[in-house]
Amino acid sequence: MFMNDIYMIFLGLLILIIGILVGVAYLTLLERKVLGYIQIRKGPNKVGFMGILQPFSDAIKLFTKEQTYPNFSNYLSYYFSPILSFILSLMIWLLIPYYFNMISFNLGILFFLCCTSLGVYTVMVAGWSSNSNYALLGGLRAVAQTISYEVSLALILMSSIIMIMDFNLMMFFVYQNYVWFIILMFPLSLCWMSSSLAETNRTPFDFAEGESELVSGFNIEYSSGGFALIFLAEYSSILFMSLLFILMYMGGFSLSIIFYLKLVFIFFLFIWVRGTLPRYRYDKLMYLAWKSYLPISLNFLLFFLGFKILLL
Amino acid sequence: MILLTNIFIIIMLISNIMMFLSIILSKKSFMDREKCSPFECGFDPKSSARIPFSLHFFLITVIFLIFDVEIALIFPIIPLYKLVNFIFWTKISFFFILILLIGLYHEWNQNMLNWTN
Amino acid sequence: MSLAKIFSVSSRVRATGASSLVARHAQYSTEGKVEKVYPPNIPGYKYVNAEDPNMSMKEMSNRAAQTLFWTELARGFAVTLAHIFKEPATINYPFEKGPLSPRFRGEHALRRYPSGEERCIACKLCEAICPAQAITIEAEERKDGSRRTTRYDIDMTKCIYCGFCQEACPVDAIVEGPNFEFSTETHEELLYNKEKLLSNGDKWESEIATNIRADHLYR
Repeated sequence: MFMNDIYMIFLGLLILIIGILVGVAYLTLLERKVLGYIQIRKGPNKVGFMGILQPFSDAIKLFTKEQTYPNFSNYLSYYFSPILSFILSLMIWLLIPYYFNMISFNLGILFFLCCTSLGVYTVMVAGWSSNSNYALLGGLRAVAQTISYEVSLALILMSSIIMIMDFNLMMFFVYQNYVWFIILMFPLSLCWMSSSLAETNRTPFDFAEGESELVSGFNIEYSSGGFALIFLAEYSSILFMSLLFILMYMGGFSLSIIFYLKLVFIFFLFIWVRGTLPRYRYDKLMYLAWKSYLPISLNFLLFFLGFKILLL
Repeated sequence: MILLTNIFIIIMLISNIMMFLSIILSKKSFMDREKCSPFECGFDPKSSARIPFSLHFFLITVIFLIFDVEIALIFPIIPLYKLVNFIFWTKISFFFILILLIGLYHEWNQNMLNWTN
Repeated sequence: MSLAKIFSVSSRVRATGASSLVARHAQYSTEGKVEKVYPPNIPGYKYVNAEDPNMSMKEMSNRAAQTLFWTELARGFAVTLAHIFKEPATINYPFEKGPLSPRFRGEHALRRYPSGEERCIACKLCEAICPAQAITIEAEERKDGSRRTTRYDIDMTKCIYCGFCQEACPVDAIVEGPNFEFSTETHEELLYNKEKLLSNGDKWESEIATNIRADHLYR
């Protein structure tokens, strides 16, 4: 009986991983389509039926491209940092709050924070080890940006945790049965949204890969599999960030279809932001993290602590 | 924990296999001096890529370290509220966050958060 | 405020009085404060810098409300959302093609007279004018005494498609036709010789003739 459960868990894990990969593939398609229509053009519309198979042809293309061995690179770390970032982003997905065939973390939020903070190292190592000026600069920027926003991200998360007084993500369902937290903490949810944009290096804050000045940032020396893994890791972490937004602020049970529709909507928001806003300025980005979001999230933390104490 | 370790191993295997597959499947793989040199605009890189970088990045990490430690100290207040006296818990958590806030304002006041001088 | 504000001089600038007006605007008032010197109401000058925000209570509250309710952000998002539902400007390329001007400069072609005689008289004007030096011509007298080319090569990878050869040609022999789909897999295939160019001319003659007729008034 016990072994049976174990098998079921591994089966669930496998399905989850396949789901993430296919989901990420189709999110790239969605992104290209939506960006295309925002720019009054069609996105990919040839491969398969209306471009349905485009992500798969992209994947095949990426994985059959030539693998490069940059001169003077620290090859082991160059080789393994995309793998590590992919592992980390898949590990984060274990947190997805299912009631069956998956791990139910009692300290899930701590696990999430551990994995996201480890994600910084892969970017840093990838940028440093590929022995390119652009990659190093992109890596430095990404590290400074990610860790700055991590502080405010953790504090915003803390406010939500204080509302539910638990580290288990499933408790968000219980506490948001009657009212979504987005109504209680609207400003914080917006802070979370933009912090997660910055945390995943998305467009208004995509300084790690500013095409115009750093060409492609920290992943410039990567090709084929390495680039594909970095890409998959980034997009799956974006997807998880939107999942977390839904969990924390928009409630809903994870097995309902509405939950996933909301998830897609939040991802659409990410793409929409990318289609609308130009890149920020780096010093302003730092000021936004340290002088706006951090004080705001700390003050709100104090406020929600008092709020919760009144409720307890 | 064993389960988590096993899952970690599986995920590690999957990602390593993906990377390894891409190396095997790579269609073209002839070596070229120019191709293996770091990306520049068509010339050899002038300076080493392991350049000394701006100190700001380092200072930001130092500030981050302080705040991260403080965040790590905040987190225990969640499980603690079931364990300790409620009044103590309230006071301690309030004071802790207040100290954090005042620390932030102090750093702000000392111009530590300024990106440019 | 500093006096070094940049003013752009418009074309209608009136020299009389303008400089004295600037000097008057730059004067200090009696209290020792710097008087506001811009925007000067000088006819003929246009102030191009950002102006000071209006500090009346109404304007200030308007600005505060715009910041607070993100009207600009919301408008930006609304614009992009509206663009999603617009008809895309995409042309389904290999199946439908956009319009081409009669002056379009595409693949080269050597034309013939209706009799079948080639037009080129080997004057080498095109070779001389070609800025990329992509054209190579060798000429010889033919048996009937007319001057013809024995070799007419164009390196299409050197060519910059400027159309000078077409303009230099006195007999409309070398033209740049409307064809732009002549990509190849190897470099050698793009080194055109005389046969290739003449066959291009035969292939595209009707289009080329139409284009020349459409454009002859302007040449």
